Amino acid sequence: MISIKQIISWKTALFILMLLPMMLGLGYGLLYSFGVIGLLNTGFTTEHWSDVLLNFNFWKSLLFSFGIGLISVGISLVIALWMVVNWHHDLRKGKLSTLIYLPLAFPATVVGFFIFQSFSKTGFWSRLLYQTGVISEIEDFPSLVNDAYGIGIILASTFIITPFLSLILKGIFENEDVTRFQHIAKSLGASQRQVLVKITLPILLQKAKTSLLLFLIFVIGSYEIPLLLGRQNPKMITVAIVDKAQRFNLNDIPQAYAMAILYVSFLIFLFFGFQRLAKLKTKAYA
Amino acid sequence: MRKQIGQSIVGFIIIFPIVFLLILSFGKQWFYPHILPNLWQTSQWESLFSPSFQLTKSLGLSLLLSISVGLVSTVTAFYFSKKIAYSYNKTTWLSLAYVPYLLSPIIFAVLIHFYFLKTGLSGSLLGVIIAQFLICFPFGIIICSTFWTAQIQSLENLSSTLGGSSTQTLKRVLLPLGKSTLLLCFFQCFLISWFEYGLTHFIGAGKVKTLTVSVFSYVNEANPFLAALAGFLLILPSVLLLLANKKLIFKTSNKRPDYE
Amino acid sequence: MKNLLVLFASSLLFISCQSSSETKPLNLDDYTWKDIKAEGQAQEMTMMMWKGDPKINAYMQQYIKPKLLKKHNINLTIVDGQGNYIVQMLMAELQAGANTSEIDLMWINGETFYQLRQIDALFGPWTSKLPNASNIDFENPFIGKDFQQAIDGYEMPWGNVQMTLIYNQDKIQQPPQTRAELLSFVKEHPGKFTWNNHFTGLTFMKALLMNIAGGAEVLKGEFNEDLYAKYSDELWIYLNQLKPYLWRQGEVFPENVAQMHQLFANGELLFTMSNNDAEVDNKVEEGLFKKSSRAYVPEFGSIQNSHYLGISKLSKKKLSAMLVVNELISEENQLEKMKPSVWGDGTVLQVSKLDSAFQKKFNSIAQRHYAPPREDIQQKALPELAPEYMIRLAEDFKKNLID
Repeated sequence: MISIKQIISWKTALFILMLLPMMLGLGYGLLYSFGVIGLLNTGFTTEHWSDVLLNFNFWKSLLFSFGIGLISVGISLVIALWMVVNWHHDLRKGKLSTLIYLPLAFPATVVGFFIFQSFSKTGFWSRLLYQTGVISEIEDFPSLVNDAYGIGIILASTFIITPFLSLILKGIFENEDVTRFQHIAKSLGASQRQVLVKITLPILLQKAKTSLLLFLIFVIGSYEIPLLLGRQNPKMITVAIVDKAQRFNLNDIPQAYAMAILYVSFLIFLFFGFQRLAKLKTKAYA
Repeated sequence: MRKQIGQSIVGFIIIFPIVFLLILSFGKQWFYPHILPNLWQTSQWESLFSPSFQLTKSLGLSLLLSISVGLVSTVTAFYFSKKIAYSYNKTTWLSLAYVPYLLSPIIFAVLIHFYFLKTGLSGSLLGVIIAQFLICFPFGIIICSTFWTAQIQSLENLSSTLGGSSTQTLKRVLLPLGKSTLLLCFFQCFLISWFEYGLTHFIGAGKVKTLTVSVFSYVNEANPFLAALAGFLLILPSVLLLLANKKLIFKTSNKRPDYE
Repeated sequence: MKNLLVLFASSLLFISCQSSSETKPLNLDDYTWKDIKAEGQAQEMTMMMWKGDPKINAYMQQYIKPKLLKKHNINLTIVDGQGNYIVQMLMAELQAGANTSEIDLMWINGETFYQLRQIDALFGPWTSKLPNASNIDFENPFIGKDFQQAIDGYEMPWGNVQMTLIYNQDKIQQPPQTRAELLSFVKEHPGKFTWNNHFTGLTFMKALLMNIAGGAEVLKGEFNEDLYAKYSDELWIYLNQLKPYLWRQGEVFPENVAQMHQLFANGELLFTMSNNDAEVDNKVEEGLFKKSSRAYVPEFGSIQNSHYLGISKLSKKKLSAMLVVNELISEENQLEKMKPSVWGDGTVLQVSKLDSAFQKKFNSIAQRHYAPPREDIQQKALPELAPEYMIRLAEDFKKNLID
């Protein structure tokens, strides 16, 4: 019996399963965006790329997504840090330790739907405020979803990230035996605040760096949430790309592929650039 | 005192969505400014028990889809993560394994759509399984890679020195030891597939109607009640799993659990 | 590493060489209706249609689908999609050289028909083969022409509707009839009026465009760039005057009509609109709209148009699709869908051509309670404009009002 190992090496198999699809996809996107293939295309051209690169709205979407990502991760980080530092024991044992796992059961779709139903102008909170007399008509409730600042998107993303991040930080807290260091520092005369700033936070943040980056990328790449809670202007980048590929002018489809490639490049640059930077920094201390 | 209040708020924020979805799923009409639906019905929940109801079919389909993807991804990831862990370019492969996650699944779907059309996989369940597998599998590698420590490697070597075949080593040594990693990997891959919307909708051409696709189609039909029901079904398996054993979904620390 | 690069390069080469479809094109001359019935039986079929209305969905799923199963043993799967989504999908299939299509039958009209013909994604001509087609009123300009285009047998008329605005009679006694009245209305009631960023909203804008141009006659016929430029400039000026008083200050528009109906039902909007003149009856009967809702057509008129069914060129189930369409245009099924309690969609059949029993049934269909009868709004009916108008309006609306 000939085993598969003898036909192709595991590296080739892995390449085919893991990397080839993406390379094929990017290859197709490149060819399409340069006009080489595609039903309505007429041959090699750089006009689609120049249209995209010079399109203000593309950069606006990209930066908007990046900004929303930073804000969401930032808020989640603050809340998660606060919970882990102050409620560490309750996160290990007791009701909170079970509760904190529950939001992990929520898909982005459901979170988006829930945030919409509770925070829209005719949502749950608006009705509550109306009934308690805080607002006298629908108009008075602020626009929190489908709004210009992406508040709904931030709320939904924070809801998803915070529990995850708390669990990761809790894990770091235990693995790095932070409590021990805290005791040592205190016995050496450090104040609460010094312990926090010089011991607890640096350890937690240092080890959580990659996770934070991954969460940032998660928010930038989220699709269902902006679909439910975002709006046409400003648009998150994933929605912008899919809209260009599906909803608008047929002749703009090559642009959608160019945008997709730029988006992927941006994320790869962000991810690997960050890793490089992190490595350099740690080397400096070594 | 402050701690009590703070934790209660957090508890409320977590429980409220679940309760809200449940209540909404029994609604029939929810005119402003009623806080709770002003008209109720149980017919939607009752329809769940009839196999011809779209949502019931979606539930079955989602289960089938996600379990398949979870299984295939876990088995493949387990095998390849071992190869990577013992290989020379371990870190390179692991970094590359992050890349499919870096594209959001929907953008990945847009880029490879052509190939699915050409091979006739577009609009089919198999096509969606393959597409989801391509996303879950690298993720599985990252999860399983933590299993292959030097200790495990030496146990493997020990087993073969003592005369065990590779199958025996697998069955008697690796699988029992790797149980928690394998389960974690399975559930993570299951969840990624279970939660997936964009890629499923795109590659499946709207024909592969999973639960997430149903939520969106009810939202587009402006039926928040059925959407809430679909949403509740979506969170149900995970909630049950979590209450049974939190560690199945997420491993926080490597410390031996002496309390939990 | 080299091997991997070779693999990659050869895959790219694979994409660039696209094989053409291998199936023989269907020649309808070889088939009689009997043949079509025989071969189209007992098949699985997919139809793509807009699924934003629960009543239409119910009509298709609970009335039509079982009928098809029973009569022809055809299992119809219905998926959601309309407009550009359908065009992109079929285009992608053509590009990939697929030898079959995921969609067999589709619900289309206007600019979708135009674009599909541009990329040659529609099968045809086929409509004359259907026995029930002889009852259709092709002479009626609102039916025989789709957005001023000849349909040439490439799509079959399915239903006919006229757009109306829906409002709450308790809150508004005199709905606005002219553009000027609309402007003063939104100023008096800021944040209570809007339209959606899709088909219905664009239909509304087209009516305004014709009003600005001084009548439907001016923009009749083929697309005229100069006329478009002239009148659309005025349109954007007018709409920008409305903008600050619109819902959410006109910075965001509802994505679909279902959302607009929800906002109207909740009281967030005082107006909603629908392409279907009977919609208000549907929604009141459903319990979504309050009983005080009424529909009307302003003095400046609203567009009446028909919607159609098309078959994709790559479909492998063309004969079954033809069977399904024949059912959909039968007197029985057209009558059923015209009932306000079911859908309220106007028929494309020439009622006078039908046998007397059916004529009676059509003429005694339950009256609408909340919408004006079709005869009353017929004289305010505007014809559809050439498809390029819609395409340009969609783009320029984004540019001028959203961005």
